[in-house]
Amino acid sequence: MLYIVCALPIEAKSLVLPLSLRKDQFSCPYETYLAEDHSCVLVVSGPGAIAASAATTYLLTRFGFKNDQDFLLNFGSCAGEKGGLYLIHKIIDQATSRTFYPDMCYDLSVSGLTLSDERAVTTCYQVVSSLEDSDMLYDMEASGIYQAASRFVPPHRMVFLKFVSDAGIVEAGQLTPEALKMCADTHATTVLKVMNTLRAACTPIPTFDEALYNQTALDLCASETMSHELRQLFRYALTSDQDMENLLQTMKQDGKLPVSSKREGKVVLDEIRQHLL
Amino acid sequence: MKSDNISYNFPFSHIYVEKQAADHPLTKEILSRFKKSVVIPIDHYKDVFNRTHQDFELQKTAPALILAKNEGASVFAGSPVCQDFGNDHFYYTSCARGCIFNCEYCFLRGMYGSGNVVIFVNLEDIFTEVDMMCRQHHMYLCVSYDTDLIALESLTGFVSKWSSFTESHDDLTIEIRTKSFRKDIYDICKPCPRTIFAYTLSPQEVIDRYEQKTASLSDRLEAAAYAISKGFPVRLCFDPVIYFRGWQDAYAALIHEVAEKIDLSKVKDVSVGSFRIPAEYMKPLRKSFPSSSICQFPYENRNGVFQYPEAQQREMENTLVTLLQSLISKDRIYRAEF
Ligand code: SF4
Repeated sequence: MLYIVCALPIEAKSLVLPLSLRKDQFSCPYETYLAEDHSCVLVVSGPGAIAASAATTYLLTRFGFKNDQDFLLNFGSCAGEKGGLYLIHKIIDQATSRTFYPDMCYDLSVSGLTLSDERAVTTCYQVVSSLEDSDMLYDMEASGIYQAASRFVPPHRMVFLKFVSDAGIVEAGQLTPEALKMCADTHATTVLKVMNTLRAACTPIPTFDEALYNQTALDLCASETMSHELRQLFRYALTSDQDMENLLQTMKQDGKLPVSSKREGKVVLDEIRQHLL
Repeated sequence: MKSDNISYNFPFSHIYVEKQAADHPLTKEILSRFKKSVVIPIDHYKDVFNRTHQDFELQKTAPALILAKNEGASVFAGSPVCQDFGNDHFYYTSCARGCIFNCEYCFLRGMYGSGNVVIFVNLEDIFTEVDMMCRQHHMYLCVSYDTDLIALESLTGFVSKWSSFTESHDDLTIEIRTKSFRKDIYDICKPCPRTIFAYTLSPQEVIDRYEQKTASLSDRLEAAAYAISKGFPVRLCFDPVIYFRGWQDAYAALIHEVAEKIDLSKVKDVSVGSFRIPAEYMKPLRKSFPSSSICQFPYENRNGVFQYPEAQQREMENTLVTLLQSLISKDRIYRAEF
């Protein structure tokens, strides 16, 4: 699932339409849009790092972000010297000077973003008056999103995409909603391509049959320590291509399972181990 | 977790440079070799290297390079799970953290949680520290402890520097452990009886399955043989011995091949030890690699160290020692003891 945070409804709109997202009818504190197949969800946080951080926490907890399958994206405008869409590799929080680093493992050049399209962004708490550093981008949300998300989301599952809409306070004052929308729409196509690329990395890690594990623990009258050991044996069987289900089935047929006491359970658990090693 | 359906950036496509390391000549030299990489200034290497929830396996596919300055102590007492080869004052030092190779069982997965590579550019400060310690007693120092230094040699030149430094310090013996195929080191460095080059040897099945990106067995043996021919002290490490179905035949074939390609009478010593890992690293190791049979093996925790069940461990190590004893004198075979 792709989780998207946009600060402004105008930014959100440029993704909501092409992704056919529908407004979530559940009464929620934030404007939230959801894909019919639940492959994508978008929240409009409102401007500012604190608003963005609160909305990010809401989004991730409400829809249950999964570390091995999901991605968090931030798409929004920023101030900068040169127009364009940028992938963020460093986030600086202006108030605290703390720095944050999303991992840059994926090659997004097929989506139109190469290494030269990467920048650092400084998250400010008010609109910047001038661009101190010509290589730097200035936004108002990224550090809030990163800090809130880092509790749940690994750094390689966070993607920050910022488009330059103005060059600071003077221009920002002149920026009309239409101009901002046009800017967002222009870059939405690339963002959609990035999302498609990332979807390919949304493969869940294979796991063992949890129901079979629970039943076996019961059949063994397993204590907590034994259950822990059994879990490790299930993991080992999965990684070493051994058929645990078949092994347990045979033991059942042989009358070794279920057992009637923890002591018997220990003996059978040891037998399972011997079979696997 | 790594996915086959997406492309990854090339290794070291991103280089993080600590501000205090930016002006160091080695930083400049390394950066000059990576013209296509993105250089990102950072305040401290831990801001990147120590982040939470990093995906070790993914980062191994597209590792970032971090250039930093090591501040404070950089020489530490050797771990009890590592072999000291009879040396009283056994230490290790980190001039780099992380490795360009990718062994499934590597303890670095559990120790650091990051698949990126840190190079501490200020080797001269480590030399100062070691120099002071050598004045007190003889030191046995593993310099390729949490990396493979030979594999990084074209970037750092650290192996040559360690070699010269050791030559000028009579109270220092160093071990440089490797799984690399590089032989040119032995044309650059001068042999010194106190600079030991240690080759980790595994059956080719183990290399193929569990030691990604490392040199093949025949390449390692070729490099070791070359080092011996040039007069360098060479150690052969059958450590870690890995359990898998058919291990007996595979390890017997390994020792046979070693005996064929290496003049064992000229080897300094050999070591044997089955896979083991301190308990505190086991949990992160398993988490970092849920699909690895080595990581998920149901080891026993004995004395705070995860290791193979006792009988199995004894059988594996005894088998290797017996095979080796027919080829090399007993006093040159070291076993892992802890
Ligand atoms: S060569 Fe050594 S340090 Fe490198 S990955 Fe393998 S075990 Fe780890």
